[in-house]
Amino acid sequence: MKNLTRFLLMAAAVWALQVPLAAASFAPQDPPPEPEPVPEVEEPEEEIIEEVIEEPVVVDQEPGDEEVAEEEVVEEVVEEEVEEEDPNAVDPNSPYLAIYGGDIHTVTDGVIRRGIVLCKNDRILKVGKKIRIPKGARRIDAHGMQVYPGLVGVDTSGIVKGRGTSLRDDFDPYALNLDLGLAGGLTIVQTGNAMAKLARGTLDGVLVGQTGWVNLGYSSTSPGGRRQLRESMRKVRDYMREVRSWETDKAMGEDVGEEPSSKGINGGHLALLQGKAMARFNANSLKDLLSVCDFLEEYPMQSVIFGGQEAWACAGRLGRVGAQMVITPRAKAWADQTLNAPSGWSIENAKILWEHGVPFSILPQERWITTGGLAGRDMLTLPMEAAFAIRGGLPQDAALRALTLDAAKILGVEDLVGSVEPGKDADLIICDGDLFHYRTFVQWSVVNGKMVYDKEAAPYFAHIRPRQVASFEEVMEEIERAITETDEEVGLTDVAEAPAIDAPEEVADSE
Amino acid sequence: MMLASMLLLMPTALPVAQEPTRDPVGRATVYRFDTIETLDGEALKNVTMLVRDGIIERMGQAVVVPDNAEVHDYRGTGKVAMPPFALTHADFLHSDRRGGGRNARFLAADSLWLAEDWANDLLEEGILMVGIDPPGNGMPGRTSVLLADDQVGVPNPLVADLHLKVDVKGSSSSKRLVRDGLKAADKAIKNEEKAKADWEKARADWEAAQKKKAEEAEAAKKKGEKPAAAQDGNGKGKDDKEPPKEFTAPKMDPNIEPLVDWVRKERVAQIWLGSAADWLHWQDLLGERELPYQIVLRHGNSQNFHEVVDQIAATGLRVDVAAGISYLPYTRTRVNLPAELKAAGVEKMILSPRSTNLTGIQSFRLSVAQVVAAGLDRDIALRGMTLEPAASMGQEELIAPLAVGAPATFVIWSGDPLDPMTEAMQVLSEGEVLYDRVKAEKEEQR
Repeated sequence: MKNLTRFLLMAAAVWALQVPLAAASFAPQDPPPEPEPVPEVEEPEEEIIEEVIEEPVVVDQEPGDEEVAEEEVVEEVVEEEVEEEDPNAVDPNSPYLAIYGGDIHTVTDGVIRRGIVLCKNDRILKVGKKIRIPKGARRIDAHGMQVYPGLVGVDTSGIVKGRGTSLRDDFDPYALNLDLGLAGGLTIVQTGNAMAKLARGTLDGVLVGQTGWVNLGYSSTSPGGRRQLRESMRKVRDYMREVRSWETDKAMGEDVGEEPSSKGINGGHLALLQGKAMARFNANSLKDLLSVCDFLEEYPMQSVIFGGQEAWACAGRLGRVGAQMVITPRAKAWADQTLNAPSGWSIENAKILWEHGVPFSILPQERWITTGGLAGRDMLTLPMEAAFAIRGGLPQDAALRALTLDAAKILGVEDLVGSVEPGKDADLIICDGDLFHYRTFVQWSVVNGKMVYDKEAAPYFAHIRPRQVASFEEVMEEIERAITETDEEVGLTDVAEAPAIDAPEEVADSE
Repeated sequence: MMLASMLLLMPTALPVAQEPTRDPVGRATVYRFDTIETLDGEALKNVTMLVRDGIIERMGQAVVVPDNAEVHDYRGTGKVAMPPFALTHADFLHSDRRGGGRNARFLAADSLWLAEDWANDLLEEGILMVGIDPPGNGMPGRTSVLLADDQVGVPNPLVADLHLKVDVKGSSSSKRLVRDGLKAADKAIKNEEKAKADWEKARADWEAAQKKKAEEAEAAKKKGEKPAAAQDGNGKGKDDKEPPKEFTAPKMDPNIEPLVDWVRKERVAQIWLGSAADWLHWQDLLGERELPYQIVLRHGNSQNFHEVVDQIAATGLRVDVAAGISYLPYTRTRVNLPAELKAAGVEKMILSPRSTNLTGIQSFRLSVAQVVAAGLDRDIALRGMTLEPAASMGQEELIAPLAVGAPATFVIWSGDPLDPMTEAMQVLSEGEVLYDRVKAEKEEQR
């Protein structure tokens, strides 16, 4: 029993020696969380050492011409080896950034265990397990870490300063809230009608675009407003029919006279029915949500509904009208017991929406970063809000999707951000554990291919469970302590008879 | 015998007294101090200073004291002599609250609001010279310089029109104001250049026409014909109207004129920044332009200039920074910005009080002491309170290192100037005592 215990612990030691360990990993009372099993890319298991071999090669390839570049790479390897340059030398101005050794949560293609994300300039160039890292590339050793796409903040406030087209002139790239947003995993936020990258230290590459949202008030508390909206939409639809008819007649060469006048037509409503803009509703109660569904059935359009506390009770209809949601899983509401229908808040809200194919993003109760009130319910801890949805049954990969790709879709920037795929913006976060675990910290954030946040360098959380690489002696000391404790537990106190601890070289050989 | 030998050897053992730089004329005043902070190298100990006609004539450990000299021997009292302080911002001295915008026409000196004993308030703190600047963002006006001399209550600016103040702190509106202002200045310059080109052309055309006419007249005269030039009823040709001999520039908006001077590099601007972001915005505004400017770092809500100290140091410019230690919000991280600037390579640094009201000025030395205690080089700090601000206001000859030939402008401190218990006992400007604490206190008691 004693020897078996020793063997198991020594095997753990051998594994531990190959990866940098956070000091927190040794805490016996609360081991670091393992991510929930998710579909894994079928790749052969390989030694970590092999995966991170850095070839002394300059790869200059764009997405799309990888095959050609591979051939050039082999030729250059020989040349560089002759010169005997240090293959691990890092050029801080290199356009390449390699994040290697971590588990990559791609969102769109499962998880790549101990993979590599290679970025060039502000884009992701390659994602996979075996990728040659160009000579001089900047690198982040993410062994033992989880790599995610940067989180997307929908409808945030105050994380970046400035709104609209003047955002660049107002942008504070050193603001406290921007730093804290990065520490919370955000890399892009919607602020007002603008989408801004959390590009620290620069004014360039900040403004990504503008949302084309049209706010529509469609609440049961304002029947007059509803009537006016429907009236306006009817006018718009009639106008569009007139225009279509006029265009058809004109194309057939008929004498059609002047184009129908758009006088009295609401431009925003017209854009909605033309598919050029997205409608934004606020609706929490079942009654309001069903009314919005009725409206969307009559006037189909792209839409996003904020709130949705009782959305679980009409998720099927919401899915059928193609609505997207922004929900707050912890926002509770009393059930209306006079209704002969499901109502009130449900911890399963997110899960049920997901089951019905309703895309949604998640927003905490406070859509900014606050230093007042209760901690844990603002944008600094966005994943905690999603974690509550996971508690209610939402699969973990769906929760990740809600904070990344689905949020990007709601903002219309899914082509740029929201997943770890070649060609997308190099916006990534590297965490020391499962994103949705309360212990987890973002260790590094990358925005537009530049490392903009390093927990160890920033003054906010560096002192909490500092990131460090455990030395061989520390690992062995820990193992010895664990052996002693285990022996004592099972009543074997004669630890002096234990075989000697292998030296590092021998450990490597035996492995 | 031994005593005689010592006496004989003494002149060689002691440092050789400085040669007089001028013939002795007026009555000499001699000061003897334990310490003189010359601010030109190391402090001198046990030193004698001979002042004549407002100039330091001799200074050293072995200075021959003329018979009729007035001698002030402060040895053994711990008193320290040092050049007086100069503050670049003393906003409590003026009343202008018209605010920002594009108001470059305003001069800070035009809105002085001097209390009766304003000069004493400053001299009590060892301050001889102050700069004042118009408040507000954008381009609120131009800065002025006052000397805290004994003209009590009388506005007497030493320099009325010094720097253009450009404040780009914290908002896109400030940035827009400056950007639009620069564009307007460019346009005004272009207009003036065009007007000048037009005038030169008109002048050249007119002169050519006159020359041609003269030649034709000459030729006609030779032939005995009448000149053929077009003439009006008065017998004058249409080309006869002479353009002015001197070019007169088109009238310029008075709010743009200082900016035009700046763009032409004839004027220096004080660029006020409130955060590291403002630095980037200023660089964004500047673009490829090369404009003369000084940097004024005034903390707003974001105390994060340390993020860009390297970039600021790379300009090689004089930096005006508020003296103080700040904590990064919600952290235990302390930032000693002056020390970080120095470490980044800023050699010329002006230290200013964090608050430019009288209370802030009165606690200025304490703030500097804290910054020095936390790592800023003491010499840099003392120069940053005296010589550097004076130089930034163009008054480097008035407040200069204490040396032979320099003006006898100094403060006699009761001890180390950076000790908060120390008081300014006397302030002298070119040998003249402007402030005497003992006298002032006696007068107060009366």
